[in-house]
Amino acid sequence: MPPTEPVQITPASVTRFAQALGLADDGTVPPTFLISLTLPAAERLVEDPEFGLDWSRVLHREQRFAYHRELRAGAAVTCASTIESIKTVAGNDLLALRTDVADEAGLVAEVWTTLFVAGDPQ
Amino acid sequence: MKPELEVGQVVFTTSFPVERADLQRYADASGDDNPIHLDEAAAKAAGLPDVIAHGMYTMGLVSRAILEWLAAAGVDARITEFSTRFAKPVVVPAGGTAVEVEGKVRKAEGDTVEIAITATSAGEKVLAPARATIIAN
Repeated sequence: MPPTEPVQITPASVTRFAQALGLADDGTVPPTFLISLTLPAAERLVEDPEFGLDWSRVLHREQRFAYHRELRAGAAVTCASTIESIKTVAGNDLLALRTDVADEAGLVAEVWTTLFVAGDPQ
Repeated sequence: MKPELEVGQVVFTTSFPVERADLQRYADASGDDNPIHLDEAAAKAAGLPDVIAHGMYTMGLVSRAILEWLAAAGVDARITEFSTRFAKPVVVPAGGTAVEVEGKVRKAEGDTVEIAITATSAGEKVLAPARATIIAN
């Protein structure tokens, strides 16, 4: 899927996120902040009607962030999401997603999310 | 980074109270407004014992423990890798709960330190230890 249009990480959104976790609000983007951009970006993949994902049966299983550079409030970034793998285990699916987050100078962070999707109850 | 750090050393132990109002604030800040984190009836309808915290809220508290440790130690450093697996939900009854977080040195080499972090709530390990790699600036 092509990257999203650049989105500005507004200072207000960084402040709100930092305050919700009790973090110092010093203008750096909090370590887990990018999830608020990458999950909606990845949703574009999984909300494709042909793919068909029922969010009421989804649990967050694993999360990993790799940060290549420090990100400051005010930065504008794009998100490019891919499905890395889909595994079916005992009728449930494990969906591994990766989102590359880039600014004007290139890749800033990579964000991996694994979702557990409960199988259809028979 | 901190030459005195040794593998296995506990570098922080913190307890964070968690109230349902905290989950509402996190939902507003993160955009994740899944009702299983906010509404008891919705959580129970989904087969959960009660309202559960967002996994990312718990991971956020772990990041807070790391950042508060670095700030208290006066170390100018940044997190370059941060990962976890959500093992058990943090159940948040109407009266609230707590998440206990403990960080231990896993590796220390030059300017880089890797921390393994356990998180416990109501006696259950809620994370299959989180890991963070921290590099001195």
